[in-house]
Amino acid sequence: MAKLLMEQLTKTFDNKAMAVENFNLTVEDEEFIVFVGPSGCGKSTTLRMIAGLEDISSGTFSIDGKKMNEVEPKDRDIAMVFQNYALYPHMTVYENMAFSLKLKGMPKAEIKERVRNAAEILGLMDYLNRKPKALSGGQRQRVALGRAIVRDAKLFLMDEPLSNLDSKLRVQMRTEISKLHQRLKTTTIYVTHDQTEAMTMATRIVIMKDGVIQQVGTPKEVYDQPDNVFVAGFIGSPAMNFFNGRIEGNYFVMGQTKLLIPDSALPEGLDNQEVIIGLRPEHITHKPEKDQSTVEVNLDVVELMGSEYMVYATLEGHSFVGRVDANLNLSAGTVFPMAFEMDKARFFDPTTEKRIK
Amino acid sequence: MRTKDFAYWLFLAPVLIALTLVVVVPMLLGVYYSFTSWNGITTGEYVGFQNYINLLKDERFLDSLWFTTKFSVVSVILINFIGLSLALIVTSRIKSSNLLRTTFFMPNLIGGLILGFIWQFIFIKVFASVGEMVGMESLQVWLSTTETGFWGLVILMSWQMAGYIMVIYIAYLQGLPKELLEASEIDGASSFQRFRYIVFPLVAPAFTVSMFLTLSNTFKLYDQNLSLTGGGPYNSTEMVAMEIFNTAFVQNTFAYAQAKAIIFFVIVAIVALFQVYWNKRREVEM
Repeated sequence: MAKLLMEQLTKTFDNKAMAVENFNLTVEDEEFIVFVGPSGCGKSTTLRMIAGLEDISSGTFSIDGKKMNEVEPKDRDIAMVFQNYALYPHMTVYENMAFSLKLKGMPKAEIKERVRNAAEILGLMDYLNRKPKALSGGQRQRVALGRAIVRDAKLFLMDEPLSNLDSKLRVQMRTEISKLHQRLKTTTIYVTHDQTEAMTMATRIVIMKDGVIQQVGTPKEVYDQPDNVFVAGFIGSPAMNFFNGRIEGNYFVMGQTKLLIPDSALPEGLDNQEVIIGLRPEHITHKPEKDQSTVEVNLDVVELMGSEYMVYATLEGHSFVGRVDANLNLSAGTVFPMAFEMDKARFFDPTTEKRIK
Repeated sequence: MRTKDFAYWLFLAPVLIALTLVVVVPMLLGVYYSFTSWNGITTGEYVGFQNYINLLKDERFLDSLWFTTKFSVVSVILINFIGLSLALIVTSRIKSSNLLRTTFFMPNLIGGLILGFIWQFIFIKVFASVGEMVGMESLQVWLSTTETGFWGLVILMSWQMAGYIMVIYIAYLQGLPKELLEASEIDGASSFQRFRYIVFPLVAPAFTVSMFLTLSNTFKLYDQNLSLTGGGPYNSTEMVAMEIFNTAFVQNTFAYAQAKAIIFFVIVAIVALFQVYWNKRREVEM
């Protein structure tokens, strides 16, 4: 149970590249925070600074009000799960999980009880005497989790723990980790580059790019109210569609196409301004009756996903994806009216790429 | 299939022929000669196991064998200890690690004979002068007693081989997954505990290689022995290789020396095989 405070956290490597810049974040007790971003965005470096595996170049990091900058990793009372599990190959599953407790000098009986408890939660009871080599990827991942659980640490750190698993197992482990968090309520920081993991597991998401925080918010907030083009494009799958154009009166104009924006959705003071609008695929769809937001487009690719189609098309030089009900009979190469739900559009400044509210 | 077989043997032939000519044939000839009274000039006659029976009663041979064994045990432990320690030092985050690596490895580039003479000078002249200066008599008699001769050889051998063994340990230490060390750090291990529970068990394959190399090298030591002590005083620091050489080329009893060589070969082979088997059991697959 811990409350974390990161103020102006900065990491530079060899006084050159800035890996993390002015990272400010407060993590409340029992939160499940996910750091998400493309590779090289500094999310793992930040996690490693929290763990104490990487020195903090400047700024402060504290747990429960106690400054941790100079505290050794072993004295921070944290547990960490690594991407490639980092299980000790010469120890059995039991020994792997018991290692930290043994180092603490805990009585054998208590170690046994704790390891057995964790093994039971994770369904590892039958594997306690095996070496990691004799386990499958999913089982190894569980042992790595078990090693963290037995510690009863203040803080769990997880560095892309699921990225070595196949997609089916990943979904399964994702729910197991979520369940585990609901059960143990340990403050957790989880790093991933997979926005789906971030959306499904987090209480709050921290989106990073080039070492800088882009937005912090609940999954719903970052999905519905993205602060900038990067966040809007990164969160959501398929990604949000962007169109460059101009506001003229109540219309969004690009080339020959004019789309009517409802009054309520149009931010003030945008008349005659260049803007980028963002529309999620689910907001470009099919509507039976034509109106001022419907455009006839030529369908480039049509993918049947079961309950719906993903349709890929081009409008005024912008490729976009829409979602259409699977009951309609669609095929590539046909011309089809697509409705742009402009009341759901998000507006961005083309120079700063920030959202216009 | 026929042509494949032919190509297979064709490519193997150079090695097979060379190996047969320089290893297998001399070895078999050696075994044959050990059962004769060959003196280097005349082939001599078949004497059965007489040479082997004689060497069991040959005190000089048995002494040298005992001396060699003691020397090997002490040297193997010391060389591996120093080698691993040096490897740990130069793989830690110190600035001069590359310079240190080169320095530690350098003694290995000097030939054994030269090295023996260098250390002879150090033990006899330098130690004596230092001993005179600080008034320590024990420093003034180096290499003139069996004891100092023994330790002189051990020091020389450790100085020469530790750097070489260090390189092997470095290779294995650097191959350790970084995450394992980090995980142990987070698990609460101090640097000693990290070495004791994680690093040491995981570099087991390096022990197999290093111990094999040090063991076979120390057992077969000749040139350093020759130039440092020459076997003296009174043949008390004479190692098996030198004893066999003297038996053959000084006393001209070639067949007898050959019998000793065979016994020596068997001993080294058994020790090395046992060592590799024992070490291998400790190794972990990653």
